[in-house]
Amino acid sequence: MNSDYLKQKRILLVDDEQELLDMVVSILQKDGFQNIKTAKTAAKAIAISETYQPEFAILDVMLPDDTGFNLIKRLKSTFDYPVLFLTARGEDDDKFRGFGLGADDYMVKPFLPKELLFRINAILRRSYKDENPLVKLPGCEIDFDRAEVIKNGKHISLTAKEHNILAALYRNAGRIVTIDALCEAAWGDNPFGYENSLMAHIRRIREKIEANPSSPVALITIKGLGYKLMVEGK
Amino acid sequence: MKSVLKLIRRFVGIMLLSSALLIILNFILLFLYTVSQLPNSQPWQTAQEVADNLFQNDNGYVLPEDITIELKKNDTWAIFIDNATMRVVWRTDNLPETVPMSYSISDIAHLTRGYIDGYPTFTGEAENGLVVLGYPKDSFWKHMWPSWDYSLIANLPKTFLSVLVINIALIFIIYIIANSRLLKSVKPIVGGIQSLPTEETIHIKEKGLLSELAQSINKTSEILHSQRKQLRKKETARANWIAGVSHDIRTPLSMVMGYASQLESDNGLSEDDRKKAAVIVEQSRRMRNLINDLNLASKLEYNMQPINPARQNLVAVVRQVVVDFINMDIDDKHPIAWETDEALTVCLADIDKDLIKRAVSNLIQNCMNHNEQGCHIFVRVTTGENNCLITVDDDGAGATDEQIERLNHSPHYMLCDENTSMQRHGLGLLIVKQIAAAHGGTTGIGHSSYGGFSVKLALPMEE
Repeated sequence: MNSDYLKQKRILLVDDEQELLDMVVSILQKDGFQNIKTAKTAAKAIAISETYQPEFAILDVMLPDDTGFNLIKRLKSTFDYPVLFLTARGEDDDKFRGFGLGADDYMVKPFLPKELLFRINAILRRSYKDENPLVKLPGCEIDFDRAEVIKNGKHISLTAKEHNILAALYRNAGRIVTIDALCEAAWGDNPFGYENSLMAHIRRIREKIEANPSSPVALITIKGLGYKLMVEGK
Repeated sequence: MKSVLKLIRRFVGIMLLSSALLIILNFILLFLYTVSQLPNSQPWQTAQEVADNLFQNDNGYVLPEDITIELKKNDTWAIFIDNATMRVVWRTDNLPETVPMSYSISDIAHLTRGYIDGYPTFTGEAENGLVVLGYPKDSFWKHMWPSWDYSLIANLPKTFLSVLVINIALIFIIYIIANSRLLKSVKPIVGGIQSLPTEETIHIKEKGLLSELAQSINKTSEILHSQRKQLRKKETARANWIAGVSHDIRTPLSMVMGYASQLESDNGLSEDDRKKAAVIVEQSRRMRNLINDLNLASKLEYNMQPINPARQNLVAVVRQVVVDFINMDIDDKHPIAWETDEALTVCLADIDKDLIKRAVSNLIQNCMNHNEQGCHIFVRVTTGENNCLITVDDDGAGATDEQIERLNHSPHYMLCDENTSMQRHGLGLLIVKQIAAAHGGTTGIGHSSYGGFSVKLALPMEE
């Protein structure tokens, strides 16, 4: 799946340390992001936000003139766009407060550039759908908007549960998703005893997406742990 | 307060018992005394015996030798008054001269009740007269007018019992009144002493019988409160200090990690320089873990870490941790095997999910840290009698028996108050132990059947 369009998103980066701003900018630029503005204070962040209209913001919590928690409220009051907190404050209460104010993710410093990029890309992918919504798997394509699989030119519909399971797998494409997380995606919080039902759904999904469902290459079983969706280009 | 009531009940019991025992003892003593005084009634018997044995022959009246000796031994004299003449017709040799030799009826009545010239006299009735024995002066006291109102004697048992009961009741009332005052003073003192171990401050009114004791308790409470406050302040300051330092290190460490990571993947650098950058990244990661661990360990130690238990499926929680590690382990040096029985899909426990995930992560991370050349890690969840067991094994370098003994029993340096260099093991295991303890569980460290290290967490299963 092509994610170049995400790299065009306008990003606002707010932190009171110039060195950290420089470093994050270099990390983002190296990953292909081109439109980045930085601010060292909340006031400057508001000013930039009014003219620049960012599509994604990375905020520190402790700023010289205000807190990141107040800043997110003010930024989101004009236009609602995804926000990631990147802060040295790692207390649970801070995290809960951040999420409570509508943050999409909360990262505690210090961090590895790879992890930061993974989280930013995941947020952007969730928030901004590709104009071309087709996800390419080995042997087929999935159109999540239409909830169908396109295999050998044929359009095969997905049920709601199959769609939810595939979407959870796609969000973590190339990584293992636990049985429990997939059950939660299909049946909601704390689902106990749905393992067999999940297996039945997986079997039906394979029949729809795999060329040979008995030896799957797109939806792989990791014994005892979960499943992994192999997406081309990931 | 229960113990005070018990004490009072015991005191009352002892008092009633001792009163009853005292009365019984008195009766016994009275009885014994009376029995010992039985010989007192002997003078009347002796007089009657003399009267019965005094016989008349041709020479006059004669008393057998043995009785005569007996009378002499007791320094007793005897006379026999003839009924017809009212005169003394027989007498013993030791008769005092002051004893009259003839008697009128009123004399007889008088001597029967009382004395002859100060000698206590006792009479015995013979066939023709009256035998009178005279004992030495002051040897007996005689009750000369022995008569009582009839109803007094008839009601004597009732009167006696009533007096006894009234006496006991009076003693009891006096005791209760005397003790209720004491009790009133003791009650707040006991309450105060019982409350001393609790966190609350105590203030007892400093008046009454035990005011000095109340003062001491108030003072002790103040000292304890102030010590607790100081200790809490110290602990909070220490935890805050650790939190503050770790917070301040985070931003500079971000830059070390970030730039080193960029250098590590910079193809423009030589292989050697990239390796050096990789070492900086790895060491920065260790520092980050250390900061996180130090912060959490100090908070758990000083009860400053909020624990939010909720009903969770431990199998799912542990499985997620394993999957997160597998997803991260890019170089595949530490493959993790999930060994939980497929039949066990649910093991419910009341846990703080994030803390348990942290504990399992620490255990897996430990296997990796101590086996840098790589090892296999084995994770499984099983069920015990009333608990869920999480076991993390590896086939790496393992530890010696001595090291395992130390890990199981020696305190960590964060908790040790002795100056020793023997407790220098990492914070990872300390946190695991603290988290297990916070959930009412246990941690067991030992050798793995795979040849390496093994840690088993036992957490109470939800019923």
